[in-house]
Amino acid sequence: MSAQPPEYRLAYPHVIDGATLEVPHRLTADAVVVGSGAGGAVAAARLRDAGLDVLLVEEGTLERTETFTTDPASMIQRLYRDAGTSMILGRRHPIIFAEGRCVGGSTVINGGMAWRPPARVLDNWEQGLGLDGTSARAMEPYFDAAEAILHTEPNHEDTYGGNTHLFLKGASAMGWPVARAPRNMRRCVGLNNCALGCPTGAKQSMLVTEIPRALASGAALLTHARVDHVTWNGSAARGVTGRLLAADGRPRGRFHVDADLVVLAAGARHTPGILKRSRVWSRQVGRGLHTHPNAKCVGIFDQRFDPWVGTHQAFHIHHFLDDGILIGYAAVPPGLLAAAIPGLGAQNAEKMALYNHMLTAATLVDDETEGRVLLGPDLQPFMWQTLDGRDIERIHRGVALTAELLFAAGAREVLLPFSDLHAIRNPGEIRLIHERRRDRGVIELMTVHIMGTARMARDASQGATDVSGAVFDTTGLVIADASAIPTSLGVNPQETIVALTLRNVDRWLERRGRTRPALRRRDTATPEAMHAGS
Amino acid sequence: MLVAAVAAIRPRGHGFDQPVDADVLARVRAFFPFLPAPLRRAFPIGLRLLQAAPLVALRRPQRFTSLSTDDARHVLERMNELGGPFGALVLGLRTLVFLAFYQHPDVLRRMEIDWAGRAGELVRRRAELIVS
Repeated sequence: MSAQPPEYRLAYPHVIDGATLEVPHRLTADAVVVGSGAGGAVAAARLRDAGLDVLLVEEGTLERTETFTTDPASMIQRLYRDAGTSMILGRRHPIIFAEGRCVGGSTVINGGMAWRPPARVLDNWEQGLGLDGTSARAMEPYFDAAEAILHTEPNHEDTYGGNTHLFLKGASAMGWPVARAPRNMRRCVGLNNCALGCPTGAKQSMLVTEIPRALASGAALLTHARVDHVTWNGSAARGVTGRLLAADGRPRGRFHVDADLVVLAAGARHTPGILKRSRVWSRQVGRGLHTHPNAKCVGIFDQRFDPWVGTHQAFHIHHFLDDGILIGYAAVPPGLLAAAIPGLGAQNAEKMALYNHMLTAATLVDDETEGRVLLGPDLQPFMWQTLDGRDIERIHRGVALTAELLFAAGAREVLLPFSDLHAIRNPGEIRLIHERRRDRGVIELMTVHIMGTARMARDASQGATDVSGAVFDTTGLVIADASAIPTSLGVNPQETIVALTLRNVDRWLERRGRTRPALRRRDTATPEAMHAGS
Repeated sequence: MLVAAVAAIRPRGHGFDQPVDADVLARVRAFFPFLPAPLRRAFPIGLRLLQAAPLVALRRPQRFTSLSTDDARHVLERMNELGGPFGALVLGLRTLVFLAFYQHPDVLRRMEIDWAGRAGELVRRRAELIVS
């Protein structure tokens, strides 16, 4: 038998499959954690480390690493909420939104970026917003521990493909410094399948790190379970109730969990949805939505370089981060990239025939406009954000800079994300981006970084949760996901979610008179060590 | 209706004339159960309404399914430009058809893309690197 990655041999004990559980069903725990992404998995593992009896509840399925494939359609159906069709609505430019719905949440389908936010962002939390203990200096040990959990490392040079070399060539020609991206992976080999689940096991998502570690130490995991709302005794949270789902996702019966500590980590869309359905009346719940939208540009080159060979996002450009602009690149499978290429039939085919000559780059902008999460008539949360003029300008500037980089790298044509300006053919035409009428057409935007919808604040007039992520005017109800992030970050939020959760769990434990476990150091829980101990 | 829409949307020419419409149709249909409930309900209604779209787009009282492929594509392009719910329907159809078409093994072969083969190689390579 040929060698297998260690992630293929991980054990997942104490998993309760909600698709086959007798209904109705009642469970008990000291702490119930709703959602198993970056926040939920870390909270569950740390609470278990502190000796609590922990139940992790996940709406999706346990999809093991060794079953992952490179087929986008089937992996999107298995790993993504709503098969990747979620949308942030607004008056002009809808934003496509994708998030995970599986054990490990969005960490299973993200690009594996593990950036710390700029120090100015964290220092503003402490000095500008009055959130004690959130400055860059105060957060340092938590970011160190987060990087140990995420196993952060840069890409090895042998994973660079033609897209990386062209991106570096463009940045160099423009005189822009590049930042070598820290990524949560262990010896990535550059398959470039991060967004569909990593079949090599290299991405150190929660599926292969904190979840098996928590389960090995006695935590339990209930899958196929969708939480409707928190249950109460006065203002004290006493557990959650919801519906168990069949394997096809349809509801099949109710379940209840009794627990004195309820941790919501269902993501910045569904956490405020649960709070609203739980009759947490604060006006701040659902406000403060930031989406960190990105706009794609596709450079077409004369030479063939097979963009699907080699890693993606080994580098970012942070040169414009203080202006709220980040530039990166990715290889997108042809079936997904085609949707961003104009036309139907032969028109689309003409461009797609050049797929092996295409470099897809994107600008991500730090949005200032605050959106909202609201409940629809079906009591499911939906998002609304109408980007204002400042953000639209920033997107245009980001697109123009990205197009400049692509031309500098040698592109002969750049496809743009505007419905009324599909392409430009030389650097002189970049002015068309600046001159484009802002009140015409649609900008094609997407995001995987939503945050801020139950943000931490000094008092209840400014946010939904206090400086430890506890929901104001309640006891025993805390938040551990991107909802609690107080402002837009400007970078990928995964590491911040982990660091904030580690910090906040310490405060919840202190309130309960529990001893805080030591923060993790590097390499104390590799998959091999977990396997050997299971 | 879906057959006519797939025929109008699917890429043609430029090396993309593989006879895979039946597979594309099956893959598009297989996606529907995974859509959120409101979309699952809206999709068939939208498709039925699209039958009358030639009246708006071509000023002809003709059913969408009786149009030539070129005319059907023109109708879809027109609906896409109009935006709103019909624009969203065309966008959704287009996304599903392209996903099914360009990821079809015959089409990937024509594009000289072997992502799956590379995955097999790299799984083995990483396992060896980790052990060493």
